[in-house]
Amino acid sequence: MKLFSLGLFLVTSLGAFAAPSDLRLTLNWKPEPEFGGFYEAERIGAFQAEKLAVKIQPGGAGTPVPQMLAAGQTEFGVLGADEVVTARARGLDLVSLFAVYQSSPHGILVREERGFKTLADVFGHEGQLAIQRGSAMALWLEKKYAPVKVKLVPFTGGIAPLLKDVNYAQQGFVTSESLLAKRQGAAVRTFLVSDSGFDPYLAVVAVRGDYLRKNPELVKAMLRALNKGWVSYLKDPAPANLIMGKLNPTIDAATFAESAKVQIPFIETAATKKSGLGSMTVERWRTLVEQLRAVKIIDKDVSPESCFATLK
Amino acid sequence: MREGRTTIVHTLALMVPFLVGTGFLELASRAGWVESYLLPAPSAVVGTLWTDRVEFLAAFQDTGYSALLGLGVAVAIGTLLALVFSLSEWLERALYPYALFFQTVPVVAVAPLLVIWFGFGRPTVVASSAIVAFFPVLAGGLAGLRSAEPSLMDLFRLYGASRGRVLVGLRIPSAVPQYLTGLRIAAGLAIVGALVGEFVGGGGLGSVVDVAKTQQRVDKVFGAVLLATLLGFLATLVMGRVETWARRRLS
Repeated sequence: MKLFSLGLFLVTSLGAFAAPSDLRLTLNWKPEPEFGGFYEAERIGAFQAEKLAVKIQPGGAGTPVPQMLAAGQTEFGVLGADEVVTARARGLDLVSLFAVYQSSPHGILVREERGFKTLADVFGHEGQLAIQRGSAMALWLEKKYAPVKVKLVPFTGGIAPLLKDVNYAQQGFVTSESLLAKRQGAAVRTFLVSDSGFDPYLAVVAVRGDYLRKNPELVKAMLRALNKGWVSYLKDPAPANLIMGKLNPTIDAATFAESAKVQIPFIETAATKKSGLGSMTVERWRTLVEQLRAVKIIDKDVSPESCFATLK
Repeated sequence: MREGRTTIVHTLALMVPFLVGTGFLELASRAGWVESYLLPAPSAVVGTLWTDRVEFLAAFQDTGYSALLGLGVAVAIGTLLALVFSLSEWLERALYPYALFFQTVPVVAVAPLLVIWFGFGRPTVVASSAIVAFFPVLAGGLAGLRSAEPSLMDLFRLYGASRGRVLVGLRIPSAVPQYLTGLRIAAGLAIVGALVGEFVGGGGLGSVVDVAKTQQRVDKVFGAVLLATLLGFLATLVMGRVETWARRRLS
């Protein structure tokens, strides 16, 4: 038992040797305007002002942020609200702190040539739809627009097949893939998934429950820094875009700028003007829990109150 | 009688690490040393395999079928090329370096391209499987065809045998052991290739893993992984049997 704990300790501490005092903020995607406020907080020294050493770790497809948080491989992680609920149902004690996207920019991209008017058209016609299988979004849309005529196929990222095949549709962010498709000359129409009633908070910063209980002051300081970063980024995204552009050269400067502009209504809403950027309500979490139960991703109740914390 | 006893001893020897391993995992999980979201208890995995048995069985068959087709394609192309290369040194020099490409190609990286070329579904999965399974067939076949004893080669030459006669009468029979070893390796790889193909092309155990991962169902991921290993185990077992049989017939 002792030997086993020692082994486990050695394994888990390997990552920590790099920089023992750094707090890690792990993203679930590459640097994009979606995370602009985080990089801006770093740039303007908002973390230092709170005496925090924060290391932003970009992610990619399949970065297991919920498990990394639960296992202590990262102190802070960015993920979707639906993942937080699912994690809690599976016994992972994750708590959301700050929701960058108040409304989901998830969309279904289709070629303009097909003349579709609504989301229902996408599902009611033959063709292919690339979507993350098993995701809450996919299950929700399948249920809502049943009987589904379109063939659901795996989503592997990018927009190459959409440019090639007229009868192909795919998931994507209006703030990202839609812009890239237009830039590459495709006439693309995007239907927001939130119009179907499924609208989880996205780009949510979360921590482990016991980490929050043990370090409330540190977490509050982190939130102040993140807020400062986002306020500054919304005012002028150009400097942080430059930094992110170097880290993620697959997106050109013009798309960075456009994306930062397009995402503003998803970040600044009537609710955030009242209660601050990133703020969340229990009603929204309750709706999400109900929806996840309806599509059977979770089979037990999760208390909406337990999913997030409002620290003042 | 003796052979029967050896088989029993071998089977027991095989079971011990398995039982100790799963027993320890079960204990670690029950005692709370490892969280179930990192490593599920073996009993939880077995429970999931049983609850979702219909889905698992269909996926198992799907992946098995794709891997079999992929292996078939790999064997057909690999064997043909091995024969051609063994007959013409010139062709081998020109083409073998390109065949090497298939040994090193990171199939994970090219898999999304396969979808663009072959479309979603089985063709992509079979292609992915064939790509990784192809090289061991070619390498095993070629090395085997080269392994004919020089003294026997001289003998054939002495009698003025044609190239074709040497191939059929000497080279192919002496190629069998190494060719079959290549085939055994290819059979295991075909399954890995099929799984990678299923991640992007859809279907089979690859899809089960993808969905389970998305829904944070670690137990289900492990269930699918277990079935994939079982598939590989079966493939190796069958190929091993074929090898033993062929060796016995040859000697």
